[in-house]
Amino acid sequence: MTSIAGVSISWAVLAPIVALTAGGLLIMIVDLVSRQASKAVLYGIGIVSCIASFVALLPLYGHATTTLAGAFASDRFSWLFDAVLLLTLAITLLLSSLRNAEDGTSPGSYAALLVFCTIGGMVMAGADNLIIIFLGIEQLSLALYVLAGTGFPREASQEAALKYVLLGSLASGFLIFGSALLYGSAGSVQLTALASAAASGGALFFAGFALFLVGIAFKLALAPFHTWVPDVYEGSPLAVTGYMAVAVKAAALAIVARIVYTVFGHDSAALVPLWILAILSMLVGNLGAIRQRNLKRLLGYSSIAQAGYMVVAFAGVGAAGLSALLFYLVAYALTSLGAFGVMALLGNGTDAYAELDAYRGLSWRRPWPAAAMSLFFFSLAGIPATAGFYGKVLLLEQGLSAGPWGVALAATLVAGTIVSFYVYGKVVWDIYSHVEDERKLPTGNALAPWLAVAAGAAGTIVFGLAPQIFHFLTG
Amino acid sequence: MLIDTVIFLPFVTALAVLCVPRRFSTAHKAIAFAGSAVTLLLSLTFLWLGRRTAADQTVPWITSGWVAAYHVRVDDLRLFFVLLTTLVSAACVWAAFSYAHAERLRGYLALILSFETTLLGLFTAADLLLFYIYWDLMLIPVFLLLTGFSGTQAARRAAWSYLIYNGAGGLVLLLGIIALVARTHSFEPAAGTALPATLEWWVFAAFAIAFLIKTPAFPFHSWMPPTYTHAPPPVVALVSGVQSKAGLFAMLAFGLPLFGRAAHAWAPVLLVLAVASVLYGALTAMGEQDMKTLVAFSSLSHLGLVWLALFAFDITSVSAGILMLISHGLIAAVLFLLLGFIEERVGTRDLAQFGGLCGVAPRLNVLMLIAIMAALGLPGLSGFAGEFLILIGTWQTQPVYTSIALVSVVLASVYMLKLFQGSMHGPLRIPAGRQAGELRIREGWLVAPLLAAIVFLGVWPGWLNDRTPNVAGATHNVAGANSFAPTTHNVARANSFAPTTHNVARANSFARTVAGANSFAPDLLNLAKASPRVGQP
Repeated sequence: MTSIAGVSISWAVLAPIVALTAGGLLIMIVDLVSRQASKAVLYGIGIVSCIASFVALLPLYGHATTTLAGAFASDRFSWLFDAVLLLTLAITLLLSSLRNAEDGTSPGSYAALLVFCTIGGMVMAGADNLIIIFLGIEQLSLALYVLAGTGFPREASQEAALKYVLLGSLASGFLIFGSALLYGSAGSVQLTALASAAASGGALFFAGFALFLVGIAFKLALAPFHTWVPDVYEGSPLAVTGYMAVAVKAAALAIVARIVYTVFGHDSAALVPLWILAILSMLVGNLGAIRQRNLKRLLGYSSIAQAGYMVVAFAGVGAAGLSALLFYLVAYALTSLGAFGVMALLGNGTDAYAELDAYRGLSWRRPWPAAAMSLFFFSLAGIPATAGFYGKVLLLEQGLSAGPWGVALAATLVAGTIVSFYVYGKVVWDIYSHVEDERKLPTGNALAPWLAVAAGAAGTIVFGLAPQIFHFLTG
Repeated sequence: MLIDTVIFLPFVTALAVLCVPRRFSTAHKAIAFAGSAVTLLLSLTFLWLGRRTAADQTVPWITSGWVAAYHVRVDDLRLFFVLLTTLVSAACVWAAFSYAHAERLRGYLALILSFETTLLGLFTAADLLLFYIYWDLMLIPVFLLLTGFSGTQAARRAAWSYLIYNGAGGLVLLLGIIALVARTHSFEPAAGTALPATLEWWVFAAFAIAFLIKTPAFPFHSWMPPTYTHAPPPVVALVSGVQSKAGLFAMLAFGLPLFGRAAHAWAPVLLVLAVASVLYGALTAMGEQDMKTLVAFSSLSHLGLVWLALFAFDITSVSAGILMLISHGLIAAVLFLLLGFIEERVGTRDLAQFGGLCGVAPRLNVLMLIAIMAALGLPGLSGFAGEFLILIGTWQTQPVYTSIALVSVVLASVYMLKLFQGSMHGPLRIPAGRQAGELRIREGWLVAPLLAAIVFLGVWPGWLNDRTPNVAGATHNVAGANSFAPTTHNVARANSFAPTTHNVARANSFARTVAGANSFAPDLLNLAKASPRVGQP
């Protein structure tokens, strides 16, 4: 516990972030000192720092506290988001290990950027005031803009990076403008202070919140602020797309959740715009995915819909709503990473297996990856005995036990899921189709993506069959 | 423990089949057949076990937020559906030997066995979450069997209508279950829980839509003709023989007992849909040239009759509905298996392109004759017993609908005889290059047990009807329960053609009081108390 300018700092609370920062810096130093350092060493340092950060997280478990004069919180909420972010980082590093030199960037800067990106996400997960929120978002976004372009020999990757930067900066502008208005209405940047401003209402507050919501909806990719998603997801390198689909979503969701639970009651009329965004996202995401033949684009649209689903959890009350949100987030992370893992496994880290046509009759050639891919898509569709199913049950319960908006959200969730049966079924249909593939694309079989796939599959099944384990782990 | 073994043995067998390398197809056949046969034998022990100790098992599963348990049970209602499943599955696994491409046989058998597990799970689940899991999980094996193992483009397209339609129905059911659970915080259904009338009305509507789609009933049947027509015969025998009973079973096990008031409120709509299914199915079947589509529409007609039976709220008809369900399951399975054998030989399903097989295949001819006669309701076979008792019962409370539905009995003779004459009688006609041959010994043996069961239930329907009443003792199934107890004894007798019809009539006068009353469940309870006399001849 040190104190700078009267603000006390609890290093124990910040330890996970510090551990990860140290890992990121170490990667850069090693890369600088030894130009010959192999990918394995650099990514290995990243994974070790992930584990160190996770270990540093464990002592915090069970003791909710805040530090930096209440600006940074450590509670049940941030622990779980941190854990998801660290898991995502570790799996992304595993998947990235298949990247080749011709992809452009040096492995050192790539790995370091991923680590710094995750630090931004962890800052967002604990942020309890508007300045820290913005700090986290920018840290995450800036690193991610670069990462989206790390496949730069391909034009699509450059295009993705450019689109992401331009639209992302615009969103950041909305966010900071909204924050300024919120500060003006509450006289403080603390979220707790905003709660009283929300209770008393006022045009300034709602204008600020509206702008803030636009900015965060962009990061969370809620319709109609989702237009960047398909192109950026398709253009970015495979592992980065997987990281975006999970980590960015989790971090942005953390902010929405903290604002909903700290600033508003669950039934506040001010949240109606959020419900409308969620309903639009569920429809746009699922309908948009129907025609996609590229899996990265398809998962992009799917992630729009999934973000809409997760917002349904906010319709519910307090702790139960939070539990539903966390469960669904973990289920989504496991399945999504698993699906990107299968793509990386089969394509050996390239985009060869991003096209749906490559999967024709895969089950006859590679039954195990085929079965794993089907499992992940079943889970995304919410077929029983997978984590995705139980997550949807929890979300539906939140919706149906709330007011009319909750029922509308639940009904849209069901409608969206029916459409998604076609979207996800299409992939399984191709995999199991009774068609011999003429081209016989070669398939990879490397160990690292197998680890990611196995972790995703195991989690999907275990949390699907025994959701009680999740409740036990998260208290 | 025994229940778990019966439920999961087929799935374990499926895994075992998958573990054997692709080239040993004989081993696949042996393992799959042994697995399904042992499951059948084990399930038969419920006949004795289930009567004395209600086979019921609960393991806590989820306790935070709400209560859900791994709760399985084989009571007198579920017993017959379990037996139907194991019997039909064993025949289908055996029949599958001749259909699949040799190198794909492994996956094919594994999926059929997995399908059996989901069906058994569904029929034994006593917890709504568990029930729903199997309800939706059933979609996967059928979807995969249609996409990957049928080999035809039409079947792959049929997979979509199957998946989307049934998936949508499943989600509507899920919405209903969760709306219920959001209030009760428990997936353990408890009859008599006082729900607000509006909520009950909506929840029952959700259940009913899902069940109507699964059965299917008019106008939710559009997924059925392509699926039944293009699915491989063992698959369609399972889907139409067993899976189509899931909706009506669930109505008996969950829908009616839980939402008695709402069921009455919805009955007028459901009765209209039932009669519409009966007539629409029969009329369409008459005009069909494709023999599998013809049987598919006859299924729509026959199961419409069961919907009529349940929502006439008559004691005779409800219990006869169960008999009809089991009987239809056996008949549909036999018919689709036999049609599969025929299609395999003549290479077409079009009745205009082949015929006169009775000369070259006398064994096939005999088996077809029995199955067709059972389907059109010849006395002495199970189809008659079910239809006759249903119509007797529904006449008491819904004479108008019953008289309309009666027409279908005549129509059934028309389309079934058309199917039989078209395929078996007349001069031998087969497409060029085809060799119409006799049934293989195996094929004869595999339908024999199903036909034997059809004859058995036709001669002695009371064997089944006598057992269903004990639903009362074993469960909190109010509708299934007390309703059957006092009268089925008589019904069974009436059934075996002894002149005791006045007993039935007396029973039915009680039924009228029930149907007239507003609330279903409580009156049945009164009825059970009031009417022990009726049981005595």
